[in-house]
Amino acid sequence: MIPPSAYVAALAGFERMTSSRLDGLLAGRDPREAWEVAVGRARAPEPIRALFARDPDLAAAWRRDAERRPPAETWRRCLDAGVTVVVAGDQAYPPQLLDDPRRPPALFVRGDLAVLDARRVGIVGTRNATQRGRQTAAEFGWELAAAGVVVVSGLARGIDGAAHRGALAVDGSTPVAVVGNGPDVPYPKQHAELWNAVASRGALISEWPPGTSPDAFRFPLRNRILAALVEVLVVVESRERGGSLITAREAAERGVEVLAVPGSVQSRSSIGTNRLLCDGAAPVTEVADVLVALGLDGRRAGRSRFDARRRPHPDDRAVVDACRERARTLEELAACSARSLTDLALAVARLEHDGWLRETAGWFEAIDQWADLA
Amino acid sequence: MFASIASAMVFGAEGFPIQVEVQVSKGLPGFKMVGRPDETTREARDRARAALQSSGVDWPTANITVNLAPSSDRKSGSCLDLALAVGVLVATEVIPAEAVERLAFVAELGLDGSLRPVAGIVPMVGVLDDRDVVVPVRCAVEAEVAALGRVRPVATLGELLDVLVLQAPWPDHDIDDPGELVAPPAEPDLADVHGQPLARQALEIAAAGGHHTLFIGPPGAGKTMLAARLPGLLPRLERTRALEATMVHSAAGAVLPPGGLIQRPPFRAPHHSTSAIALVGGGSHTLRPGEISMAHCGVLFLDELAEFAPSVLDGLRQPLEQRVITVDRAQLHAVLPADFLLVAAMNPCPCGGGPPGNCVCGDAVLHRYARRVSGPLLDRFDLRVNVHRPGVDDLLANEPGEATSVVAGRVEAARELARTRQGGLNSALTAPQLDVVARLDAGAHGHLRNEMEQGRLSGRGYHRVRRVARTIGDLRGDESDTVAEHDVVLALRFRATLAAALRAGRAA
Repeated sequence: MIPPSAYVAALAGFERMTSSRLDGLLAGRDPREAWEVAVGRARAPEPIRALFARDPDLAAAWRRDAERRPPAETWRRCLDAGVTVVVAGDQAYPPQLLDDPRRPPALFVRGDLAVLDARRVGIVGTRNATQRGRQTAAEFGWELAAAGVVVVSGLARGIDGAAHRGALAVDGSTPVAVVGNGPDVPYPKQHAELWNAVASRGALISEWPPGTSPDAFRFPLRNRILAALVEVLVVVESRERGGSLITAREAAERGVEVLAVPGSVQSRSSIGTNRLLCDGAAPVTEVADVLVALGLDGRRAGRSRFDARRRPHPDDRAVVDACRERARTLEELAACSARSLTDLALAVARLEHDGWLRETAGWFEAIDQWADLA
Repeated sequence: MFASIASAMVFGAEGFPIQVEVQVSKGLPGFKMVGRPDETTREARDRARAALQSSGVDWPTANITVNLAPSSDRKSGSCLDLALAVGVLVATEVIPAEAVERLAFVAELGLDGSLRPVAGIVPMVGVLDDRDVVVPVRCAVEAEVAALGRVRPVATLGELLDVLVLQAPWPDHDIDDPGELVAPPAEPDLADVHGQPLARQALEIAAAGGHHTLFIGPPGAGKTMLAARLPGLLPRLERTRALEATMVHSAAGAVLPPGGLIQRPPFRAPHHSTSAIALVGGGSHTLRPGEISMAHCGVLFLDELAEFAPSVLDGLRQPLEQRVITVDRAQLHAVLPADFLLVAAMNPCPCGGGPPGNCVCGDAVLHRYARRVSGPLLDRFDLRVNVHRPGVDDLLANEPGEATSVVAGRVEAARELARTRQGGLNSALTAPQLDVVARLDAGAHGHLRNEMEQGRLSGRGYHRVRRVARTIGDLRGDESDTVAEHDVVLALRFRATLAAALRAGRAA
């Protein structure tokens, strides 16, 4: 015997199922009955008949899906993956989502949704982040977690991952992730460990049942859930077009305050965040700004980690400073310092070893104490 | 009535001596050619007959049998035409046999009796011992390069008959050097390169140690410009190497430089649409040397490495390993020389890359791009150089960079140092040899150990870095058997990787 939510779970995984279609199917109907309507075993009410008439392929696709993945199997997969199905109206359903105009009718959750009762800040940004961007995200993640705030992000490459790693580095923190595919399918693969850590410490939320593949169209949809769950959204780095700008728009529509980290006008990965600032988002330069936006005491910030790195040699300090301004090549460093290439190669080798510089494709960037988490 | 005339044929880049045997007997008039001629060679009969008639000699009305010895090898090409015509005349006793005893003939015949140039004169002349060799006037300079006997340039069959039949003196032709008719390609100078100190250093190291080099950088960074300046840094070819290179170019029918002998290292830059056969060499009957062999003793430059078909690039692996290329087909076995310095250039990723955060390529795109160049091929590059677009200040700077002649001097000295130490270039140093000639001082050891512990340096990369560090030491004139810390840290800078490998965090 399977519970009613198993039918909702199965329906959520149907091809071209949207939250409004699912809501329409479930409206005033027992989930089991809704499932039978969807797969054509029960007489469909007028709006759904009209939908099928407009789009006969959809009815066929749903019937096919019903055969391929019966509710019992979806339910078994949820149990196997340790995924809880939370349906709108359940006790556990997040109250922040309940009144949302495009609320997901079902959530697939690994971990505990109760952690959402704390203060919540979203940290999002581009996947192609700079070292600086990832460090900032890791720093904010760590400091917010240390201040007892729940960090919500998307577990993507770049900014998202760094924010999660930063938050997880604080003992007892409970980060939350909203992902765009099945909660049992770590994506990107390199983040498998991070996924499991977030799921076991905090909560990992998806609108899609286990086994759903990471299709491009799902990520903008997940952004609305993320935006609805947070009180303040921080965009660390974003390109001129990107998922984080969608999240920012969704947040603005829901009255969530959007903060952006300013970046160099020459950096491609700061175009989006700088535009957000032009459009009226508040700038963030340190974690205190975020805490103040939450209405918390900004002075609680600054419990920085101890910087254990060996101080650079006085001669090499100029190199670190030049690379802090922006990424430099060895040639550029040679041009602005009158030191020989060999001498500079020695300097950057020392600085790399001591954790002050990082090289990517011949470009040197200064890194800070957050680099190990970024 | 029999004649045997010496001639030669070219196969791959090698010459083979051929005896053209002609027997003329009474009987029904006819002509038979044996000894596995191909279509072109078989047609020699018609060219020879017409040429003789144009020169006022009648084709004998007799039964003629021609054998091309050794009979078991396939013959190809038109270089036996003249030998056939002379053979027929000797066999019919128009020309006395003694007159051709110490001669060899290599030329194609025109129907008007003129001698036409053929490809491969240098390797062919090289296998004719000390015979005097009769060649077309246009090939005289080329023949002089390898001839042990005298070169007898002749313009027409009529002229030759005057000498052989009427015992006239050999004709005295003005020899035009075909190499002087085409302007020799100017070797570009390193002084034109502004800025780019690291890439310039890489070129110098590549030239001094014979290290294969890969330039990775965005479009417009100057990768092609740098590569084109590498041959200028290499020393002049010594006599045996020059002859090897000349033989290949002659066999391929390429125009040779003035004087006929290739003395500067050749520079070959095949386009990325090149087929595997064109790169490796091939053809159905003759084996035309490919670009790899044309770059023998010089530089093979592959621009846009990732745009080459992967199967074409795989053809590079064997010659890179063995320095010769073995071509085996059903009817065809040949060894072509292929000892070249490989220089390649490519973008870090399809969008061109740039400073961190600039790349717009997705993971899938990056991996597809990286797969185009196989790991084993990438492993062959001792030097992998990140080339960046030069800064505005560098481009506008008026002072020229260091000139090729200055750098070439240091390269020559470093090569000499390596030659006296281990008798070869540093790129050929094996791991046991490295333990002897490239010990690590304490600082160098520490750096390499750290790189390996961080997972940034693989076992193969370790040897590569030591080889390159040895060359850097040689360029400084360091004669010790130890490489210093600053040589190793500089060598560590020449380990550029593709963007895909960077994202995956792979060791180089």
